[in-house]
Amino acid sequence: MNRDRNLDELIGADTTGAERERLQRAHDMLLEAGPPPELSPKLEEGPTLGMTLQRRRAVKRRAMLLLAATLAVVGVFLAGYAVANRGGSGTPASAKLVLKGTKNAPKAQATLEVWQSQAGNWPMTLTTVGLPPLPEHSYYEVYLVRHGKPWGACGAFRVGDNPQQPVTVTLTAPYTLQKGDSWVVTQPGHGGTDPGKTVLQPAPVTA
Amino acid sequence: MRKDKGDMELAIEVPQPRLRAVPSEPVPQPVDDSPADAELLARVGERDREAFEILYGRYVRPVFGLALRRLGDRGHAEDAVQEAFAAIWRSASTYRPERGAAGGWLYTVARNAIVDRLRRMGPTVDAELPELASAEPGPAQRAEDSDVAWRVHRALEDLQPREREMIELAYWSGMSQSEVAQYLHLPLGTVKTRTRSALARLASMLEGEL
Repeated sequence: MNRDRNLDELIGADTTGAERERLQRAHDMLLEAGPPPELSPKLEEGPTLGMTLQRRRAVKRRAMLLLAATLAVVGVFLAGYAVANRGGSGTPASAKLVLKGTKNAPKAQATLEVWQSQAGNWPMTLTTVGLPPLPEHSYYEVYLVRHGKPWGACGAFRVGDNPQQPVTVTLTAPYTLQKGDSWVVTQPGHGGTDPGKTVLQPAPVTA
Repeated sequence: MRKDKGDMELAIEVPQPRLRAVPSEPVPQPVDDSPADAELLARVGERDREAFEILYGRYVRPVFGLALRRLGDRGHAEDAVQEAFAAIWRSASTYRPERGAAGGWLYTVARNAIVDRLRRMGPTVDAELPELASAEPGPAQRAEDSDVAWRVHRALEDLQPREREMIELAYWSGMSQSEVAQYLHLPLGTVKTRTRSALARLASMLEGEL
């Protein structure tokens, strides 16, 4: 409710002169502005991951023509090859998370790029190096972490015999992402228990 | 003067205001070492999520308020907030401090995102009504109102919680200052002094705008 308040009623009549005029202007602006809106719980939570994922920018006509010319030069086969090897969904990348090896795999490191959502899926490209090879029938798993706990599986992968050989895999998170969501890579525990030991976790953010 | 046991009870039914939580005890005024909006924008341009969160905290109410005024629907306004902040994240690196204040840049980006959404919503029922003389403010007046609300709501975010509480009680709780005094168990004079102090701080923040 906004009663059309008189400034004297609110602060008394003691203030005079220039200060009074200054306060009157602020008072008038407050009345004109009205109260700030109530935020929904969703907005109160803070920025969402979706806000920080890039959208494909509208491609202008000239850029399209240039792209067409380039594709003609390079050739259909080469273009197809490039598209097939671009990883993810072909959508521009977005949020990039740096993962560091835990004490379970101290030499490991990885980057996880989360791409623009498509029909509720969040394609991801994980590139990792330094993870030790696992026994046969065993595999690493990528988990979405929510509120500090593994929340949902996003896919599994293996690495080759040479830990220094980077491995790139494409995964997806078919979940509604929330603020604070993150990812870890785990190694199944004894007997294949999920989610097992964490081998890669987000690196601390540096300013 | 606090109310003692022997004081006469007043038969006033005090409406309960909806306020943001504030500490129950007075808190010392901290030195304001928070980063400026321009600095935060520069950091967001370098993909600093922490800076983005701070900026979001400062501007989500002004952006939401602007969207509500323009779109008139909370659902659409929430979507517009999402799009506005996505636009801020994408284009923060294009901000140049020498061309103007960060607040003005943010206002423009947010307004453009909201207008884009308005266009996507298509023609509204109102647009199909025959043109009649109306007491409603025109586009220019609405834009000016939105701008004032944006600046005021942004400035409110920088007040101390206790100062903001005084402003909210004085202007939007629906209570008279006597009722506020009873609600806070404070003498009326103290309530007026605190309101004046909060208003003075707000006026200082808006000074460049006034």
